[in-house]
Amino acid sequence: MLFEAAKLTRTFKGREILNLSQFKLEKGKIYALIGANGAGKTTLLNLLALLDKPTSGQLFFCGQEVQYNRQQLLHLRRRIVLVDQHPILFTGPVWKNVEFGLKVRGIAKKIRRERTEEVLALVGMEEFYLADAHKLSGGESKRIALARALVIEPEVLLCDEPTANVDAENQEIILQILKRINRKKQTSILLATHYLSQSRRLAHHTLLLEHGALSETIDPA
Amino acid sequence: MNLLLDSIQSAFLLLLACDPELFSIVGVSLKVSCISTLIASLVGIPVGFLIAHSNFYGKRLLLTFLNTLLALPTVVIGLVVYSFISRRGILGPWELLYTQKAIIIGQVILIIPLVTSLCIAAISKIDSRYRKTALTLGATHLQMALVILKEARYGIGAAVIAAFGRVIAEVGISMMLGGNAKGFTRTMTTAMALEYDKGEFVLAVALGLTLMTIAFGVNMLFHFFQGRTEVDAI
Repeated sequence: MLFEAAKLTRTFKGREILNLSQFKLEKGKIYALIGANGAGKTTLLNLLALLDKPTSGQLFFCGQEVQYNRQQLLHLRRRIVLVDQHPILFTGPVWKNVEFGLKVRGIAKKIRRERTEEVLALVGMEEFYLADAHKLSGGESKRIALARALVIEPEVLLCDEPTANVDAENQEIILQILKRINRKKQTSILLATHYLSQSRRLAHHTLLLEHGALSETIDPA
Repeated sequence: MNLLLDSIQSAFLLLLACDPELFSIVGVSLKVSCISTLIASLVGIPVGFLIAHSNFYGKRLLLTFLNTLLALPTVVIGLVVYSFISRRGILGPWELLYTQKAIIIGQVILIIPLVTSLCIAAISKIDSRYRKTALTLGATHLQMALVILKEARYGIGAAVIAAFGRVIAEVGISMMLGGNAKGFTRTMTTAMALEYDKGEFVLAVALGLTLMTIAFGVNMLFHFFQGRTEVDAI
């Protein structure tokens, strides 16, 4: 099992945002997380990305209980990547953004360059290698953020509304990339989306989140 | 008016003649100001980062305290440091009084709150997504801090420049702790005060012109950094 959670809750200023009595995600699958604004999708993604700590409950990743100590968090976080709904790119050229995850892992410069070029080609942005990251359009920024996440070949890719505020052409490109990396590299994917059509097309399982609780799982017909 | 014009004219001649005394004074001023700014930056930037990125009980009170320290008069710092380093003070045996080190100690105390406060302001303005992105991409806490500091670099640069501007123009600490010893602890501001007392305006005006030129340069840098920050924010 990829993720397993029991009685997982998250409260902010006394208000319960998330309450999952039981939650399981399998390895190698694509999951879509559907819910209205404020349903708790982003909170759940932040918890699964280990960027936030639950108020109560237990979370297991690949059978290992998350203890939330600095050492373990760093080790586990390096296997999971979250692509934000509105990703922010670091100041500097695109290549520096994309290779960031490799650089912090101490990967050699030559390999970093090769993998950066490969992943930029994968997202169809190879001609933007030297471009200033802050001069890209919204759709281009999302593709670069996706490339930045994919370059480190994560076991789990969490995407918060990857196609929100993106034109139709870029939406299609992003969905195709997600499908391809799941098929080729067995990357487990959980994407939060508003569109049931997208989840039907892409996901193996669809989770419906309502008022912080999972109300049902919609499996493809 | 004639006195001022004559003094300015003579001061320019003194500057053009590369007067050794003038350059010695400017050298001491630049040396102590640069060292104290460097030390205050090495302390103030990490402390500013830690305060900006932590949530702890009493944070608001600490920020208020830091802001209050910005108004601390140089003579008060001079008095406090004097009580520690004078012959009867705890650090008396170190014989720091009337040395450049004494001026540096006082100036560091003067500008640490300034660097820290301005760094807190600069770092707090940085989008929280930078932190989140760096961590999810596998950065350690140190690597994440470097990302934030890089994004806040113009604001931090402006803080350092403002601190330098503060110390190069101060007179109270240099006078009380340095003692205005010729060739050793005489800075531009203490020399100007002395020349004024003697009624010798030429050297005072020449030093004033030099100080203003340095201040102008510092302000140009400050505006450059501010401009870059605003451009980045757009």
